Amino acid sequence: MTDARPTPEDQVLKHFRDHATGEPPAHLDAFILAAAHREAPVAKPSLWQKWLRACQQPRWQVAFASLVGVALMLTLVQRAPVPEATYDFAPAPKAAGKPEQLRAPAPVARSMAAPAGAMSAPEPAAPMADFAAPQQEAISAERADEAKISKKSTARAAPTLDDQLREVLRLRAVGQSKQAEALMKTLHTRYPNEHLDTRLKALAKP
Amino acid sequence: MMDMSAVDNATASSDESLLARYRSGEAPAFDALYQRHRQGLYRFLLGLSGKAEWAEEVYQETWLSLIRSSSQPQGRANFRTWLYQIARNRLIDHWRKHGVRNPLHDSYDEQLHAPVDDANNPEQLLNLSRDSQRLERALQALPADQREVFLLRAHGDLDFAQIATATDTPLETVKSRLRYAQQKLRRLLAEEELT
Repeated sequence: MTDARPTPEDQVLKHFRDHATGEPPAHLDAFILAAAHREAPVAKPSLWQKWLRACQQPRWQVAFASLVGVALMLTLVQRAPVPEATYDFAPAPKAAGKPEQLRAPAPVARSMAAPAGAMSAPEPAAPMADFAAPQQEAISAERADEAKISKKSTARAAPTLDDQLREVLRLRAVGQSKQAEALMKTLHTRYPNEHLDTRLKALAKP
Repeated sequence: MMDMSAVDNATASSDESLLARYRSGEAPAFDALYQRHRQGLYRFLLGLSGKAEWAEEVYQETWLSLIRSSSQPQGRANFRTWLYQIARNRLIDHWRKHGVRNPLHDSYDEQLHAPVDDANNPEQLLNLSRDSQRLERALQALPADQREVFLLRAHGDLDFAQIATATDTPLETVKSRLRYAQQKLRRLLAEEELT
């Protein structure tokens, strides 16, 4: 067995520990602690704290607000498509099973109206065509003003030369050759520089 | 006024982590570190220098140097060893500044200064003087290098290896110095008590 009792030397050590006196003066304690607090290194802010502080500075606030404003504006611009006009012209002719509507297709009705004297009395247009003609007048005038804004819309609404040539083909196909020729004549007048026959042949190809 | 919760939290931490926390900006960590070592360090300096004014001056310099430094304990030294090493070096600087010959550098033959200790009487051990002046007188009667080792052990609570590191002395020398110091103190205090 080992003797766990402290040696005489250890007792001296303990005796000194127990009975030693001497304390640092209070003013020294206060001075050192004050110096430690005063000269404590500045804590490094975390990324989140850095960001938060940046947000509190006016210049960054302005920058963020501007960014949000621009983003909002872009979103609104991107999400506002130009509404398509669905009322500009008479409805397009439907299936071939309704001959009375096919005879007077809306886009062509107005172009045929000018040389009406040279033609035989045309078939009455579809009920909507009557409504479409005066309305088209007003809207076409309006479109002239808005041409710059809605080119695409205008291009889609006004019948193109090809559309009218297709109409000629369609009239021929349904046996209304008179009306087809009248339309061709009108088109020759309106587009004197165009090779209408060539384009017509090209369109006739499947 | 100190933040008590921060201090409580700091009390459970090691010296090294407290120092690291202070260095990273947590000021209350220093309070805990200071409370832990203030008494021991002061008593070590008071015992080694023998003068309260010098002890206070070196004590203050030691802590301020720790506050202002960004260095950490190096190598095998832990915080406690490092702190006492700083204090010891400051005291040596202080002696040099005041033209006092460094008593720790005296060549000293411990065998010559260690009389045969035959006072193993338990009665004598129980009657060691408790008078603080006598304790102080006995301590100052020790050779400086023995006194240093004894104070580092008694007030710094450093073990032999740590004392060897702090004083840059071989381990066996530290052991023998402590043994001689304890024997002499026991004898001096017992003699004074008997007289």
